[in-house]
Amino acid sequence: MGRTVRTETIVLWLCVAVVAVAGFAPIAVMTLESFWRNGYFSLNHYRELISATRFWPLLGNSIRLALATTAVCGLIGVPAGILFAKSDLPLRSGFMWLLTVPFVLPPYFIALGWSRVVAHLGPTSSDWLFGFTGCVLVLSSVFLPITMLLTFASSSNVDRRLEEAARIVSGWPGVVRRVTLPLSAPGIAFSLVLVFLLAMGELSVPSFLRYPVLPVLSFTQFTASYNFGAATAAAFPLAVIAFVGVLAESTFLRDRDYTFRSTGQTLFIPLQRWKNPLVALITALCFALVILPLGSLFVDAFSLAAMHEAIQRAGASVVRSVMYSAMAATILMALGFLLGHFMRGGRQRVLSGFTLALFAIPGTVLSIGLVRLWNTPGTWFIYATPALLILGFTAQYCAVTTRLSLAGLMLIPTSLDEAGRLSGAMWARRLFRISIPLSTRTLVCAWLAAYILCLRDVPIALMTAPPGGDPLSARILTLMANGAPPMIASLCLIMAIASLIPLVILTRVIPSRRITK
Amino acid sequence: MSYIDIDRVSKSFGERVAINELSLHVEKSERVVLFGPSGCGKTTLLRLLAGLEVPEQGSIRIDGRVVASAGKNLVPPERRDLGMVFQDLALWPHMTVQQNLMFGLNARRVQKREAEARVREMLQRVGLEHRIDAKPDQLSGGEQQRVALARALVSRPSILLMDEPLSSLDDERKSMIASDLLNLQSQFGFTLVYVTHDRSEADMLGSRVCQMRDGRVTD
Repeated sequence: MGRTVRTETIVLWLCVAVVAVAGFAPIAVMTLESFWRNGYFSLNHYRELISATRFWPLLGNSIRLALATTAVCGLIGVPAGILFAKSDLPLRSGFMWLLTVPFVLPPYFIALGWSRVVAHLGPTSSDWLFGFTGCVLVLSSVFLPITMLLTFASSSNVDRRLEEAARIVSGWPGVVRRVTLPLSAPGIAFSLVLVFLLAMGELSVPSFLRYPVLPVLSFTQFTASYNFGAATAAAFPLAVIAFVGVLAESTFLRDRDYTFRSTGQTLFIPLQRWKNPLVALITALCFALVILPLGSLFVDAFSLAAMHEAIQRAGASVVRSVMYSAMAATILMALGFLLGHFMRGGRQRVLSGFTLALFAIPGTVLSIGLVRLWNTPGTWFIYATPALLILGFTAQYCAVTTRLSLAGLMLIPTSLDEAGRLSGAMWARRLFRISIPLSTRTLVCAWLAAYILCLRDVPIALMTAPPGGDPLSARILTLMANGAPPMIASLCLIMAIASLIPLVILTRVIPSRRITK
Repeated sequence: MSYIDIDRVSKSFGERVAINELSLHVEKSERVVLFGPSGCGKTTLLRLLAGLEVPEQGSIRIDGRVVASAGKNLVPPERRDLGMVFQDLALWPHMTVQQNLMFGLNARRVQKREAEARVREMLQRVGLEHRIDAKPDQLSGGEQQRVALARALVSRPSILLMDEPLSSLDDERKSMIASDLLNLQSQFGFTLVYVTHDRSEADMLGSRVCQMRDGRVTD
């Protein structure tokens, strides 16, 4: 019995150590660095930052952009999620996956697509795109799937009997407003916090659309002047906001974490005369947010010359991208599964907050910390190799695989593990013989989600890739400055194919829901 | 014509026939118990009456009005003037006892003051006025049963449907709640359609016990 506990504990602490080395050590080192100048404790970096004339407008811009993006995603994503989960809207599954496409691509793809659209319309029409409005439009398209999919998942999980009980006395609007939405609130609130934090830390879109925000300042302090202290001080407000966001989310969710005895079925809202207008509305939304920008981007991609040049200039980056993402996804899948396994054992709050904080921290902040920590002669074997990039991916995305694994593990009755324990099986044996075989689908989902997230990542890829070893998302961004548009379009198409293949597999792996009339 | 007329109704789930050309007639204020083994179609029949399932064949009439007929629900659940106690009670976990009871009254646009008075009165009748601000997970099993009963009755429906609500209780609590139910029925005069697989419960509550087997009423 004693040995069983020890194995479990050792593995748990090993997992925690991996997350700490990959995520918390860099943040701690960069925080210390920001309070250090010429060998002494100093607040000068912060003093200079706060007194700099551009700091407050940049912080204001970042918050404004994040709030507007969150509002748009909430206003469109929540009704869309409910509609896809609860109604008899035709083609709802197709619409949902189509709207998800911008999220699996690097965020700047949509911006690039819109720049092609306005280029076709003439130079005077580009004013609205390059600035706040364009940023909100692009980031809303990119992050809309987060609110939509999490609302979909939360409202699909609401026990149908609770809705039926309401349906006896109320029409559908009342049921949705008073029962479905409040019971889905934890998932919806989580999605909104996530969108806010991701929009706050977004680097590539505001820099492409020339909207000055704090992550851009932090990035330029780091790349242009290599000033760690100043870069960290500029990143510090972003890290604080990320931690506050995670704290607010967990405070809101306390006492609201409802567990349902899922029946595997959901009630549906008969749309009747609203069916056709809603199909038209969602079609227009898909066209405006996905088809138009991506269609404009990819329209130039199909020439042989452009494709040839793209392969010549970035073929190695394509291979690297797939390889690094696959390696990171495998580590993330294993780590997430083990952490999910431990969380199920009651160590939820600390571990969950621990990983979520790392997910919420902008990639630019994490990357600065990673470079600062590992850029020493003794750790060159990490700094100068893809190991640094993979560490960054591991820290940033382990919350995703952990939560996915936890959700999958919650569906397995605890009695199955208890029966194994009563038959005398040790922890490792139960893990390999019971939990893992019952979680194949969960593991595949976690791997695919991690692969997509790593492949589309920009800030970590841009800042931590070894010299001459940049992945495709970073390569396209650097080539955008001087590359021919058709070649860039071809590279984007290659990247999109590499991202969309796992998405298509994911749609096959996730079981379709059953609808009860 | 009876108060509830179920006429040659059928319902299948895929290959499985749950209700097979079943006919049943219930008089006003009658207490009918549907009794039978698991899987015989009792719950499906209750859900068809509530409007939560659509019959494939046959028709259902309540108080002379056709509410469902051959593949269509003509009257939605909320307009059938009925209350239902679910097997797992289905109390909304995010609402207090008061909010659980108020929900239906708000949906029916009962004035706030009157709704509050009715909630208090109903909670008094089931002996739970002191638990008005509690949430479902703060209540004992017996208290939850009584809240579910109060919620179903607070809007004063003319029909009460109950789907094995006492199956998880011990005998002592079961007979206490059963006697409360009989008192409430004599006060309000609603028509009771009660589903159980427990013979003693059926005898205790029913003025008529209907035996069900393979989707039909056999006795």
